[in-house]
Amino acid sequence: MSITGIILEPKRFAVHDGPGIRTTFFLKGCPLRCIWCHNPESVPPHPELAYYAHKCIRCGECVSICPNGAHSMREKKHEFHRSLCTACGKCERACLGRALRLYGKRITPEEATALALEDRAFYEQSGGGVTLSGGEPLFQPEFCLELLKQLKTAGVHTALDTCCFVPRTALEAVLPVTDVFLVDFKHADSSEHRKLTGQGNELILDNLHFLSERGAEIEIRIPFVPGCNDSDENMERTGEILGGLNVKSVKLLPYHDLARTKYASLGRTDTMPHAKPPSPDRIAHAVRLLRARHVNARSGTE
Amino acid sequence: MPYAAFEQDKEYLFGKFRNPVFDPSTGLDNETVQNHILPLAESMKGLPHPVVKGRIFEYICRNIQIDVNPHDCFPGFACFDRNKRPITPLISAWDREVNETCLRESNEIMYARNDAGLHSMWKDFDHSVPDWDSILTLGFPGLLRRAEQYRAERERRGEMTEDAKAYFDGIAITLHAVLEMLDRFIRYAEEHANGNPRMLAEAECLKQLRTGAPRNTYEVLQIIYLHFMFCEHIDRMQVRSLGNLDRMIYPYYQRDLEEGRFTEEKIREFFACFLMQWGSINNYWGHPFYLGGTKADGSTEINDLSFLILDVFDKLAVPTPKIQIKVARNTPREFLDKALDMIRRGHNSLVFVSEESIRRAMMSIGYSEETARTCDIRGCYEFVPRVLGNTTGIGHINMLKPFELIFNDGRDPKTGRVFESEAPKLEEITTFDDFYKAYILWLDNIIEGIIFCSRAFEKHLHRINPAQMYSATIPSSLKTARDAFSNGCVYNNSSILNAGFGSAVDALMAVKEFVFEKKELTLPEFRDILNSNWKGHEKLRLRILRSGLKYGNGIDQVDFYAEMIARFLGNKINLRPNSRGGVYEASGHSARTFITLGERTGATPDGRFAGEEMSKNLSPAMGMDTNGVTALIRSVTRLDAATFPGDFPLDVMMHPATVQGKEGLDAMRGLLFTYLLNHGVAIHFNIFDAAVLEDAQKHPDRYSGLQVRVCGWNVRFTELAKKEQDAYIERARNIAE
Repeated sequence: MSITGIILEPKRFAVHDGPGIRTTFFLKGCPLRCIWCHNPESVPPHPELAYYAHKCIRCGECVSICPNGAHSMREKKHEFHRSLCTACGKCERACLGRALRLYGKRITPEEATALALEDRAFYEQSGGGVTLSGGEPLFQPEFCLELLKQLKTAGVHTALDTCCFVPRTALEAVLPVTDVFLVDFKHADSSEHRKLTGQGNELILDNLHFLSERGAEIEIRIPFVPGCNDSDENMERTGEILGGLNVKSVKLLPYHDLARTKYASLGRTDTMPHAKPPSPDRIAHAVRLLRARHVNARSGTE
Repeated sequence: MPYAAFEQDKEYLFGKFRNPVFDPSTGLDNETVQNHILPLAESMKGLPHPVVKGRIFEYICRNIQIDVNPHDCFPGFACFDRNKRPITPLISAWDREVNETCLRESNEIMYARNDAGLHSMWKDFDHSVPDWDSILTLGFPGLLRRAEQYRAERERRGEMTEDAKAYFDGIAITLHAVLEMLDRFIRYAEEHANGNPRMLAEAECLKQLRTGAPRNTYEVLQIIYLHFMFCEHIDRMQVRSLGNLDRMIYPYYQRDLEEGRFTEEKIREFFACFLMQWGSINNYWGHPFYLGGTKADGSTEINDLSFLILDVFDKLAVPTPKIQIKVARNTPREFLDKALDMIRRGHNSLVFVSEESIRRAMMSIGYSEETARTCDIRGCYEFVPRVLGNTTGIGHINMLKPFELIFNDGRDPKTGRVFESEAPKLEEITTFDDFYKAYILWLDNIIEGIIFCSRAFEKHLHRINPAQMYSATIPSSLKTARDAFSNGCVYNNSSILNAGFGSAVDALMAVKEFVFEKKELTLPEFRDILNSNWKGHEKLRLRILRSGLKYGNGIDQVDFYAEMIARFLGNKINLRPNSRGGVYEASGHSARTFITLGERTGATPDGRFAGEEMSKNLSPAMGMDTNGVTALIRSVTRLDAATFPGDFPLDVMMHPATVQGKEGLDAMRGLLFTYLLNHGVAIHFNIFDAAVLEDAQKHPDRYSGLQVRVCGWNVRFTELAKKEQDAYIERARNIAE
């Protein structure tokens, strides 16, 4: 049996996930639990159903189609019983208000490659390609490796968006078939890192050094979250660490809280910080701190 | 010369075509002049139309109030209001005369079909592009001399007919009147300048144009403006391109700088003032000019002046004039990036057109490569052979109407009108293939109706509105002594446009899936549901809307039908002879008829309610392209753009966040070139988010500059009808997700 991966809806015309016009596949499953996570649907490795209450038009189609009684209508109000849901996806197709959404579908590397190649003309014109993101793509190492191999065979530029909290072997395996690594860097201090993401940063730094030594093309992405990792001290330490590595560029991605409705739709506790997006000045200041340490940094919105 | 700073002039310039004030001592106001037109025409009864129109033109030039203002480089005309042009009553009277004497039978058919919304047709006088190169090299006196030479030659050959004589008389009277009016401007400027250097410079400029051709950038801009005003506001013939400005003006610009005549700053001021004329006119369809193109040696036409013009336009932030950019592989990246950056900052009035795709479309209907290279871009984004051709837009096919006619056996439910065709009755349709065939037969019927009616009225265009200012610029017209807008060009073509293409594909797919595959309902049941406007069947309607089989998503089985229908339109329309010695061309453009024909169309199988707008251009129905912009472009470019020599436009709407940063610009450029290299012709981007639009709807005063493009016309968002605004907001919401 062929390997399959579990992915979210692929994003075509992805513009900010590596060079050019790209298709991004979001693979499900992540070893970190970042409090600001924008893609909570990508964290658990298994498929799950999201219910967007504000879109429900109470048509009742889900109630009649669900084999497990996970949906019911009481006093013209829709109730979703998550514990009964097996994420079969039947209700998603039937839902007339587009209120139900199945996050996580199985796909083979061959299917994913074929889908990506539909937009080959756009990659060629723009110097783009395909990005594997997540979650953490290397949470599904076999699928990830096989998909990257097939894409390289087809002559497609590949990028891997990773948190680097992954076994070295997985990273080593994809090295020959990955053109650029987009590596998230969340905090320079390990204990702070643990508070914010659930894990220390030792393995991440170790893997970053490994990639750097092996001459991989690395672009660092720092989610710039006010009150979490935006202090001058952290930026200075981050600059010192990254300045010692062979890193092509560093992008600061300003925090926003537009993902809140996703937490609600998944019945998940919302952990997102109640912070305003950082001002352009604030980001420019952080960029200066990083540049002073010989890091090629810029704001992600420039 | 220290002219007034542009900022001080802005208020005057904005008001110039909205609420101008004229010195009553300069002549008669517009209304009075208009009231004199019909009695004057009556006094000339029996004279040929070109002569009568020439004399009326002359009367207006001699009598209408004028202005030469220290805040402006260009003179003012009291016939500033397009909707009240003085000559209109005469043209309307001649139109009635032609309708009553020659078009009774065809008009009866045309009105019935307009009424029931099978098509939308009218006599088109809105698409002339003069030969700007003739105007620039000859000036008004030179145009007059050239016309006299053609006349003398014809006389020498002994070929002077009554019609030819009237044609030349009309042009001569018209151009003499132009010169007389220049005298009036000059006199007024000199008498009122009080030493104002700008007014004196304007008088000098006009004096040159009174006696010869323009010699510098200012005089060139002046003659373009004047020709536009004489042609569109007095001769009542719409000028649909101000020309290929960078190519046309560059030699003058270079000379002015080399010889120290004007500084670059001065030239920027001229352009700002020039562009503001149209910024002030502010017609909802916009006034276009174009930049770029390729020279005969293969190099780009983009030059320093192209950048300057774009830059001046950028700073003015007016929604019109609109700029088309002729793009080829040789177009400098820097220039493209400037234009793309302007678009993502809200300058939605820039359009890209592909030279390579135009070449393909034009050569496939028989034009030479050189004619294709030098074609003018005009109107929204159409292309037309420069000097050699004029293409009218005479009718829009309602691509959704066949569904109503199939379901109701030829009867339009709303008007009760009944139409005959070869199509089978509903009860005879037993397979989807039968249904497809019935659709094509009704489409055929609508197209034949358009061709029949337009052949009838297009024979008479020159009788209704002789195009004398325009004809005087076109050598083939002068040579044949035939009106350039009617049949005096080398190519006198007519284009047939359509509305609802994407909606029609979706409607076919809905019938296929729900009636013939899932068998959820029968055709008579579907008919009853549609005729009751989905009442009691909202779930079915939503299921249809939710079906994945929608045009614009890169789905092979759907796009196949889109391709077949497009090819049918092309095969049926292209190269059929019209009644002006030219041919018909299929166009994928909708103008505003996606709204107006939508109002005359009942509920349709694609899930659309009665009266709602339909899809526009060759774009998918609003919000139905859920697979993203790359899939959209794959679907659209699967249609062969050469099938639509009348035009092949695509609208793309994107969220600002998508195109931000350097990556965003790279992606926009990549998207543009992928579309163009897949033979797409025109593409325009609308970039904004739903929240901004919603706020603009609530607080129009805060967003007076916000522009959107509607089918090639760029308009201020706040000036759209609420219904249209809602449609844009809905669309923006969809792309944001």
